[in-house]
Amino acid sequence: MIFSRRLHRLRYETSERARLDYLVVVLLPQLLHGLVFGAALGLLALGLTVIFGLLGVMNFAHGELYMLGAYAGITFIALTHSFWVAMLLAPIAVGVVGAVTEMATLRPIYRREPLYGLILTFGLALVFREGARQIWGGDMRRIAAPVTGSTPVLGMTYPNYRLFLLAAASVLLVAIWLFFTKTRAGVVVRAAVQDAEMLDALGVNVPRVFTLTFAGSAALAALAGLLLAPVFTVYPQMGVEMILLAFIVVILGGMGSMGGSVVAAFVIGIAQSLLTLWMNPQRVAIAIFGIMILVLIVRPRGFFGREGVLE
Amino acid sequence: MSRAPAAVTWRAAVVFAALAALPAAPFMSKYYLLLAFDALVFGAIAMSLDLLMGYTGLVSFGHAAFYGLGAYAAAVLLERGIVSVWACLGFALVVVGLYALIVAYFATGRRGIYFALLTLIFAEVVYTFFRYTQTFGGSDGIQGLPEAVVFPGVAIDTPARKYYLVLGYLAVAFVVCRVVVRSHFGKVLVAIRENEDRARFLGYNVQRYKMGVCMISALLTGAGGALYAMRAAYATPDLMLWTESGEFIISVMIGGLGTLVGPIIGGAFFTILRDKVSSYVDWYFIVIGLVLIVIVLFMPRGIVSLRSVLRSRPWRQTT
Repeated sequence: MIFSRRLHRLRYETSERARLDYLVVVLLPQLLHGLVFGAALGLLALGLTVIFGLLGVMNFAHGELYMLGAYAGITFIALTHSFWVAMLLAPIAVGVVGAVTEMATLRPIYRREPLYGLILTFGLALVFREGARQIWGGDMRRIAAPVTGSTPVLGMTYPNYRLFLLAAASVLLVAIWLFFTKTRAGVVVRAAVQDAEMLDALGVNVPRVFTLTFAGSAALAALAGLLLAPVFTVYPQMGVEMILLAFIVVILGGMGSMGGSVVAAFVIGIAQSLLTLWMNPQRVAIAIFGIMILVLIVRPRGFFGREGVLE
Repeated sequence: MSRAPAAVTWRAAVVFAALAALPAAPFMSKYYLLLAFDALVFGAIAMSLDLLMGYTGLVSFGHAAFYGLGAYAAAVLLERGIVSVWACLGFALVVVGLYALIVAYFATGRRGIYFALLTLIFAEVVYTFFRYTQTFGGSDGIQGLPEAVVFPGVAIDTPARKYYLVLGYLAVAFVVCRVVVRSHFGKVLVAIRENEDRARFLGYNVQRYKMGVCMISALLTGAGGALYAMRAAYATPDLMLWTESGEFIISVMIGGLGTLVGPIIGGAFFTILRDKVSSYVDWYFIVIGLVLIVIVLFMPRGIVSLRSVLRSRPWRQTT
């Protein structure tokens, strides 16, 4: 009798400990993975949603700009032997590519239906993807993490690079938020999202705003690509998988809502990494699609979408 | 063309007669017959997508799922020894129809980009499912299918027979699309494209019309997929990849939105371009991407608009 009670208590204690272990060893790292991925996804989705708000174009080539960022990083690292210099140069280079692309292809079709923009960027994506394959080859590449080792966090050890990634992406997200709320340039971009024609009438060079914003969004995507490269692998198709997730994030957050995109990026990032605990990756992909479809049924305009913006 | 009262004009009949005589041409080797098959399937699917894109103003990025599902449905039957073309087609239509009903229900509630992205996401779900389900062969798909049979004893075993099968499909699809476009239903679709709110205020149940056209387009595409499985003797998940949907869209754009005939030409042009370019260089996607960009920028009404450009040349006017 006593023995069985003791056994029971023992079992209870071990299960308690097991539960704690599960939390620290399994759940917590996965949660952090989710945060890291969500932050990087947020960088990608932010650019996408700002471009959408501005030009009414869902940029299919955004994933390719992300991919180009990683490849530009590889090239600059080979040239300068420094990840940090590459982190500066790669976004600038891709930003220039973005600006030129915008001026050459998107500017002539501002006044046409958004449908043309969608299809045009699909063509751009094909060109970029195949171009990258021709320049850098089709095989998988890796970038060595510039920060090695790991740090004990909350009872577990976590890779330093991922912590750096989380910090860098968070700082960037805050910086972007400050840019849009505190600087004149940021206010101009937001005004252009609201009403480009009125802004034009007020004497602002709207096409230049569009081009610079597109370049900025391309640079952000490139930075996300380079930052995630040491965690993932680099290959010409890498943008295709990310762009679908980024689309889902933008839809979930509410088209054109910047805050919504960031929130949705974290939701998707965390959901994805937690779900991998219980499902194989393919099921996770389907579950993420399921989440999106459910949210759209319950709340068609996403978390923070304004009604009628995109109807 | 718009003055012709009948759904099938004599001009269309002449073109079909010419296409029917094509296998007799001396240069039509087996290879070219199968290429012609692909070109016509692609053309027919682009035409059915044009019902959505050109007439209703909805861009579907998920047509590859209808195409692939049709192919898989036919492949599953063929694999089990049910080789009747009609059984395969019928089963494909049922499967695609059920799936299309779900997609159309959710996607047509939304407009513009939402429609494009919802169809894309639904298609990705189907792709992921078939890509990783071993029952359907995983990434290899279903391979090595037997030849389909039209009537007992008449197997679709030669390239010429396959070609005539697809020509028949193209003819049926063309008539269906023409009838749809010329009907009251088709006029309402154009009204929805031009101004959805006004169409709604006029008392039309807009979503029901949009669902209807989605179903028609999806079923025609699914039938094309079933025929493709019979021609290629396989069905792979790659048929459902979203880049495939993109290729349908490219075909419609190349041909000319809202013209029906244009997308057929566009689809055929695209298929032949892909085949020809890829046999010379391995960067044909750059060529295709550039063609698409040039079309969007300089010829938004597609190849068929070239005709009116040529007609309006001054030297033609003075004569």
